[in-house]
Amino acid sequence: MTQSESRSPTSRSNQTLLELHRLMAITRALDVAIGKEDGHWHGLEGEEATVAGTYHGLRAGDVVAPHYRGSLTAAIARGGDLRKLLAGIFGKATSYNRGRYRSDVCGPAELGIIGLYSGALGPPLSYATGAALAFKLDRKDNVALAVFGDGSSSRGDCHEAMNMASALKLPVVFVCQNNQVAISTLSRDRVAGRSVADRAVGYGMPGRSIDGNDVLGVHDAVQEAIARARRGEGPSLIEALTFRTAGHFVSDRIETRSAEEVEAWRARDPIASFEKFLIAQGIAARGLLDKANGEIRGQVEHAMALAKSDPEPGADVLGVGTVFA
Amino acid sequence: MPRQTFQEATVAAIAEEMRRDRDVFIMGEDIGPFGGPLKSCHGLWEEFGAEGRVIDTPISEGGFVGAGVGAAFAGKRPIVDIMFLEFLGLVIHQFGLDGGAMHYYSDGKAKIPLVMRAKYGVGPFHGHAYDFHSWLLNVPGVKVVAPSNAADAKGLMKAAIRDDNPVLFLEHMALYHAGREDVPEGEHIVPLGQAEVKRAGKDVTIVASALMTKRALAAAALLAKDGIDAEIVDLRTIAPLDKATILASVRKTGRLVVAGEAIKTGSSSNEVVALVAEEAFGALKAPILRVAPPDIPVPFHRALEKAYLPDAEAIAAAARRLAKS
Repeated sequence: MTQSESRSPTSRSNQTLLELHRLMAITRALDVAIGKEDGHWHGLEGEEATVAGTYHGLRAGDVVAPHYRGSLTAAIARGGDLRKLLAGIFGKATSYNRGRYRSDVCGPAELGIIGLYSGALGPPLSYATGAALAFKLDRKDNVALAVFGDGSSSRGDCHEAMNMASALKLPVVFVCQNNQVAISTLSRDRVAGRSVADRAVGYGMPGRSIDGNDVLGVHDAVQEAIARARRGEGPSLIEALTFRTAGHFVSDRIETRSAEEVEAWRARDPIASFEKFLIAQGIAARGLLDKANGEIRGQVEHAMALAKSDPEPGADVLGVGTVFA
Repeated sequence: MPRQTFQEATVAAIAEEMRRDRDVFIMGEDIGPFGGPLKSCHGLWEEFGAEGRVIDTPISEGGFVGAGVGAAFAGKRPIVDIMFLEFLGLVIHQFGLDGGAMHYYSDGKAKIPLVMRAKYGVGPFHGHAYDFHSWLLNVPGVKVVAPSNAADAKGLMKAAIRDDNPVLFLEHMALYHAGREDVPEGEHIVPLGQAEVKRAGKDVTIVASALMTKRALAAAALLAKDGIDAEIVDLRTIAPLDKATILASVRKTGRLVVAGEAIKTGSSSNEVVALVAEEAFGALKAPILRVAPPDIPVPFHRALEKAYLPDAEAIAAAARRLAKS
């Protein structure tokens, strides 16, 4: 059982609750649909509450540097088009960047998403910090979101970004999507200390470790940190503890964790538990949720079929003369 | 026309651009009240510090260059000062691999107008001498600028700040305080990507940049005594190369010496050699010669340093060899 099953009624509007459910369901449907097509898809089954709760509710002008696992959810939360995003999985001409980079780890820049272009984890934390610096210099109340995995928490970039963000009191929210494993390396073996959130004390910012499988808990914590940042009170660190139930990518073996541990976390499925909560609170009936899930799966499958039949990029997309702005 | 040193002209360019455009700001280590090593930011704190546009950063090169990338992504025009070029290795990911790729990968949606300043070079500072800029020649999407005199330093800095791409701006420490020259006031722009023929000649072309341009001009004076008329091409922008000016000069003289401060293997000088070999081979009357330091780290003692970096006589000797053939 997760916290969301036992949680008491919320002050949120039914619309927000259903949006969170939809964002989780679409994340799950994408995970299934892309997993069938792409053996290198970095699946996130079981991490939907963390990503939906983190990326829901940003404003226009905010900037996000997402963790790669959940980057598509960030794009959808910011109004990204399903078909164009899926076309980007294959690098089709109809995708946001016309096939110049894979959409699963690099969201559309026009939606304020900073991609993982060079593939190195860590630097995006400083990019988000820089966007936050821009907002502060311009006296805007926008925020930047830096989302990273437990593996990335070991990068020096993580320290540099957090220290600088706190020293300069920048409007950035750091969210550690802790799924407890980095490719094959267990975070309990290679991330020192009790938690990543504990480090916040050292940086002089608020830090919270929360249940990453409880979408409302994640949403509460992130929204509170965002509100603080918008008020000019500086950065926060949130560690959402969740679990990668699949491999690093779809075709990966997962022998580093025991079958029992994986099954125990599967039993804490964040979507199933949130649906129980919605039903218990009388917000949605089982039938309505099943219908919504079916519709979402249908939309994703339809968009996937279109994306697959979309045209490949022509040689003109190479644009040798366009590397400079 | 005011007479300024390289350092004064560079800082004047930054101050003028900061007055002209509120999106321009500068950050780096010890650039605030301290004024930067070798007075690299002298006076900027006094004029712009109160507006928060001169930012002293923690010792976090990767962090603040990354923040520069993020702030540029969010619409600002940052200048980041990494103090010394040796620190390029700490920031090449942020500045080059990501910063240089974002415009292309986002299909033109993102722009990264970012100037990165770095001091380097064998000279009176006696330390931090390494010339590592050639590393960036193999990174698409970034520009490299290396002025040889105060007027160009001003014009190139203004052009670099107005450019919409990451630009590495090299500040040679042997040129930094080496006397005052006439520097045009106000709107003096030297466009990026344009070399300059500093001395016209008919017998041999010597291509150089920064301190080596100064030494090439001294070599030309030595050669004139021998009746050899050297043409000196000052690259000013090392990437992208001004191919037309280089090729026109070689087609005129039929002989080419390339003088550089980076060690010979993998030096940016080699791009000039390759360009001429590919596009003007038929015009050559003699083999191409490179004048460069040996493939060793920059040594410390003055005598060793002198033996390491080619002087005017070494450049002249290479030109004489070609003139005889």
